[in-house]
Amino acid sequence: MGSEIIVVIVVATALIFDFTNGFHDTANVVATSISTRAMPPKLAVGYAAILNFVGAFVSLEVAATVANDVVEIQANSIGLLAVFGGLVGAIAWNLITWYFGLPSSSSHALIGGMVGAVFVAEGADSIFFEEGVIGKVMVPALVAPTLAFIVGGLSIVGLYRIVGRMRPGPVTGGFRFGQVLSGGLLALAHGTNDAQKTMGVITLALVANGTIAADDFHVPDWVVVSAATAIALGTYVGGWRIIKTMGSRIHKMDAAQGFAAQGAGATVILAASHVGFPLSTTHTISGAVIGSGAAKRLSAVRWGVAGNIVVAWVLTLPAAAVIGGATYLITRLFGTGAAGPIIVSTLILIGTVVLFVRRSHHGAAPGVVPAPESAS
Amino acid sequence: MIATVVDWDALLQVIWVSLVAGVGVTAAWGFALLGSTRALEFGREGRAGEAVIYGVLGVAGFVAVIAAVVFAIVILTGD
Repeated sequence: MGSEIIVVIVVATALIFDFTNGFHDTANVVATSISTRAMPPKLAVGYAAILNFVGAFVSLEVAATVANDVVEIQANSIGLLAVFGGLVGAIAWNLITWYFGLPSSSSHALIGGMVGAVFVAEGADSIFFEEGVIGKVMVPALVAPTLAFIVGGLSIVGLYRIVGRMRPGPVTGGFRFGQVLSGGLLALAHGTNDAQKTMGVITLALVANGTIAADDFHVPDWVVVSAATAIALGTYVGGWRIIKTMGSRIHKMDAAQGFAAQGAGATVILAASHVGFPLSTTHTISGAVIGSGAAKRLSAVRWGVAGNIVVAWVLTLPAAAVIGGATYLITRLFGTGAAGPIIVSTLILIGTVVLFVRRSHHGAAPGVVPAPESAS
Repeated sequence: MIATVVDWDALLQVIWVSLVAGVGVTAAWGFALLGSTRALEFGREGRAGEAVIYGVLGVAGFVAVIAAVVFAIVILTGD
């Protein structure tokens, strides 16, 4: 009975993480379409939410990587508590970075949290550090934004050569129409890569609980549907915040740049999803946006965003790992039953409320690094 | 160490697919816009030959974009 309660808590925590992922990432997915006026804000947000939902059904390669290739979970209560510790570690790190305005990546936080918690719970032998963490997470995490930067840059250079001598009116209209397609693909790609990370973690918990045999990996349908729903709801709810802040926080780009950036981001994320690389979608989209800007004019690029990506890349994995490990240890203070997860969940909930209240009283984050719009 | 632990086949696949599809699809959309716009302009000027050539270019660009998107989704759903 105790382990069933822990499974329910882990699944609920994972879905909350998925919701916040969608909530934070709405800006990345819809900002370009809205800033170039390719779509009205409300329509763009609804469209992105629907395609996030659909995207979660497209592939399961990333879920398989998260569940099989990063850590090895034992089918017992220790394994279950390790998954819980990893999830809470990722959420706690995201909350801390949000409060202090530090750059972060939800995807890297999730992987880092899992690695840290499993390392503490089951030892170094349970971490696939070289082929999993380095080979399938860290190296792709570095390559993807760089690749998106190059693809975005080459795309916009090519586009300007093709349509450069045409009258601006039809070209702008044509690219705005094209952004309906490229923005949709980007939302689909986001749902495909990010929702699967949650599916992978929930599946890990089910393996730890013995619900799924370790040698019979599959993602149950209810896991796919619930993860898709959570990220889509998060995207939709987060969109209203974006709509309210439009005009002040999103820099202008022309429709061709928007089309090129969305196309580059979508192709890199979809290609990576096909081979099972769990990427930071925010970093990849940011790379594409910076690339399409740099190809036009270097001074138009917000190089601070590029710096934030590097800082986040260096910080997030180890920091989330430490918090994930610490969370597991705290949970174990209360034994291997449901008491630990219940107490830790309550504490993290209280901590979240306190941080929200403090931020609302003190205004902007006190951090020295400009707050990223989001990061996953 | 990195050289031995990275799945180079997968990583190189991501790189070449992203370059070909990303740059190719955006270029194809550019040709679709160029072709359709020029075809309309030449059509209005009564220059049927040029209008047809640019019309074909526009349609080819548009079809290439749609085909690439459908192909990508078919590949992904097969995972």
